Amino acid sequence: MSNKIKFFFQESWLLMVSSVVFGLLLAITDAAWKPRIEQNTIDRFNRLAGGLLTEAERFESVAAEPLAIEIGGKEIPVDVKRGLDGSGQTAGWAFVCEGSGFADKIRLVVAVDAAFEKMAGFGVLFSNETPGFGDKINITPAAGGFYQPQFIGAPVGTLTLTKSGDAAVIDAEIVAISGATVSSQAVVTTLNAWMVPIKEKLKAEGLLK
Amino acid sequence: MSSQSLGKTFTAGLWDSNPVLRLLLGMCPTLAVTAAMKPALTMGLSVIFVLVCSNIVVSLMRNLLKPHLRILMFTLTIATFVTIADLYLKAFLPDMSAALGPYIPLIIVNCIIIGRAEACASKSGVLVSIVDALGMGAGFTLALCLLATIRELLATGKLFETPVMPSWFTPWAGMGMPVGAFVTLGLILALVSVITNKSKS
Repeated sequence: MSNKIKFFFQESWLLMVSSVVFGLLLAITDAAWKPRIEQNTIDRFNRLAGGLLTEAERFESVAAEPLAIEIGGKEIPVDVKRGLDGSGQTAGWAFVCEGSGFADKIRLVVAVDAAFEKMAGFGVLFSNETPGFGDKINITPAAGGFYQPQFIGAPVGTLTLTKSGDAAVIDAEIVAISGATVSSQAVVTTLNAWMVPIKEKLKAEGLLK
Repeated sequence: MSSQSLGKTFTAGLWDSNPVLRLLLGMCPTLAVTAAMKPALTMGLSVIFVLVCSNIVVSLMRNLLKPHLRILMFTLTIATFVTIADLYLKAFLPDMSAALGPYIPLIIVNCIIIGRAEACASKSGVLVSIVDALGMGAGFTLALCLLATIRELLATGKLFETPVMPSWFTPWAGMGMPVGAFVTLGLILALVSVITNKSKS
């Protein structure tokens, strides 16, 4: 028995020592950079959400723990943030939602008005859609985007996608990007799946009248 | 080892044993992140960092390695430095980290790195291993940048996101897509093959 144990350590001591050393190295690196990484995530959210809710000066989570919201039959933790203006009043709400795109997941920052009735727009946190086609969902209104402006002022509820129509008319009908119907539909489907359950949860929690 | 042989070791990675153009290694990032110069350069520099660090560690432990555990040890070493590179990008270049997506963590399975650990670092001293890593890493980065230059120019008319093509130029959207990567790489490999055959004859 002792020979077997001796043999085991003779063969694997380098692996065990290396695992401990590399593990420590990673732990130190992670501890050193984690605050910065977390801050980057917050900054990116604030940049996107702040660009959508221009009156909001800062964003605060509505609860210490993310709200458990049933979306598509699954209970998902959602960190809903309240956008506060200079006087501390609610300027709107913002949250991150996720859905399936054409090639990969898409992650969006969505902002809505204080009454949770109209969208203030959405920004793309992550997407891997086809360059030149589906990735047009990333183009902001400021950069001359065709798709994103249609959501500014669109009602919170069931949005529908159409292949032809007037993109300048702000309503529940969203005109698809030519050649990128799947990506256009992915955004609409994601928003439809997330917005109403979040609104209902906020009402149920007494956070929204 | 003489400085001449060190020079040969370095230049081998640039042309004779260029990992992308001659050995056809590391094809996944070569095709995936060369739509523009910035991600291509970031990927190249990340691979150089991982390659140099893993070659140093493997070279230092080469006399202690058990043959049947060496691949495990290489993978453990490479994964550590890839994770550090990934964390660095997330902390200091978050937009680039988001743009590169899973391709930085995928350096772990990049054949160039495990290939150099096996072929060079596990049999050579630290200095040779570092020079080999720098040569191979530079060769990889140059190949990525060559591909990215052509693709970004033709797909967007820009270089490093700065417009450089004349106003009459119509961007070829296809060059920014996977098809553009395959076509460009194929043409470059054909050109490299022609040059090699000519120099041999």
